Amino acid sequence: MKLIQFSILVILGLQTTYYLSAQNYNDLKPGDSKFMLRGYAHAGLESSGDDLSFVGGSFNPIFLWQQNERLIFEGELEISANGEETEIELEYANISYMVNQYITLRLGKFLLPYGIFSERLHPAWINKLSTMPLGFGHHDPIGPTADYGVEIRGALPIQYRRIIYSIYATNGPALNNGMENSQEAGLLHYTRISDNNRNKAIGGRLGIFPFTDSSLELGLSGQYAQVGEDDTEFEEVRGMFSAVDISFIRSIPLLKSVIDIRGQYNSVFVDEAEYDQELDEHDEIHQFENLSSTYFGQVSIRPAYINTPILKQIEFVGRYSKLQTAEESPWGSEASQIAVGINYWLDWRSVLKFSYQINNIESTDEDLHGDDDDGHASESINGFYLHWAIGF
Amino acid sequence: MKINLLIKLTTIMIFLIGLFAMSGCATSSDAMVEKSGAQLWGENCARCHNAPSPSAFGDDEWETIGSHMRVRANINNSDMEKIVNFLQMAN
Repeated sequence: MKLIQFSILVILGLQTTYYLSAQNYNDLKPGDSKFMLRGYAHAGLESSGDDLSFVGGSFNPIFLWQQNERLIFEGELEISANGEETEIELEYANISYMVNQYITLRLGKFLLPYGIFSERLHPAWINKLSTMPLGFGHHDPIGPTADYGVEIRGALPIQYRRIIYSIYATNGPALNNGMENSQEAGLLHYTRISDNNRNKAIGGRLGIFPFTDSSLELGLSGQYAQVGEDDTEFEEVRGMFSAVDISFIRSIPLLKSVIDIRGQYNSVFVDEAEYDQELDEHDEIHQFENLSSTYFGQVSIRPAYINTPILKQIEFVGRYSKLQTAEESPWGSEASQIAVGINYWLDWRSVLKFSYQINNIESTDEDLHGDDDDGHASESINGFYLHWAIGF
Repeated sequence: MKINLLIKLTTIMIFLIGLFAMSGCATSSDAMVEKSGAQLWGENCARCHNAPSPSAFGDDEWETIGSHMRVRANINNSDMEKIVNFLQMAN
């Protein structure tokens, strides 16, 4: 009896195995829901001043979940080493619903369409240099980079050209009133999960493509927000953020090359306010014009159409950026950066980047070397960078 | 001072958009031809990064990537469908 039962089980098992193996892969139809894991990573060798170090860079997984043809989730983490610890930051996590051809609704934490660098150009395999332009990094940026809120965006056709638009409402930046550290009075803190006031920042970007081949894009961005905390003496303090950007990418047949020109100018203006400041054990009221700006201009050229396999993968790039923060503030500084580099593209999304960079910094920070008679400190830092970056 | 600068920049932008809209009425004969998926692939991808190789992903993956890029790059649905169809045929 047991032998018969065992035999029946074996026969059933063999039949099931035969049935499964006989199924063609094409018979397995995919559903509406799709998941993809993408992302990027970079690491390298950096020499700056007296330091020479291999750096782990970061690993940024991007999670894409497409629920159906209208609904998609995107989320990105940044995983990096900070000393002996591993830091994990949420870059963005949001849901997009495609209302129609011209309108997409997005909710959650998203990269703000404030210019082009933070939203599009910052990933390591897209950024043509190993560093960010001054004032465009995720830490201590001049202008907003990401926030929590709601956005509508899309493209509107005009004849055979188009306009792209984004309009959003977010928590907005928060003013540091200097109560905890008077040296930080007047600074703005971006990307806050809890708002310091009931007001919401309103902003957007408009981009136009004057040429029908979309080789040139001009953009104008703006944001207006209450930055002071409600029910305090700073609740009437407002911030105005503006940016202009340009992108020009075109093949130049005469040079058998592709030229790529990018630029962006950010300006941040915060209403004047009175900050209590302790100087030499005497309380003082400090007021200053709270105006900061930064810009960069970048040009790259790649002989992508010449016949030599190695040379067509090489790209030459140069960038200049300059940052100026509120001059009379405790954190006032002026810095400029020149970076030149040569990239070698292993494929369309993997690159070796070699660059040399000169940073000149002038600050009221006494920790910098080279004080001049005006009480400013200046420093020049040069560095070599060899990075690899991979997108996947 | 900064509000004046913003107003000036906004005025310039509105002027450019108006000029841009009016110039759209006098497009060249080349521009009147509807763009192919390959053209749209080359023009839109290059706005941020190198144009991806069609063989990099499978058909299902291109659909998901297309949805993701449609949001990121403000590409309308009809253009993105052409781009995805081109990539699926070419991979």
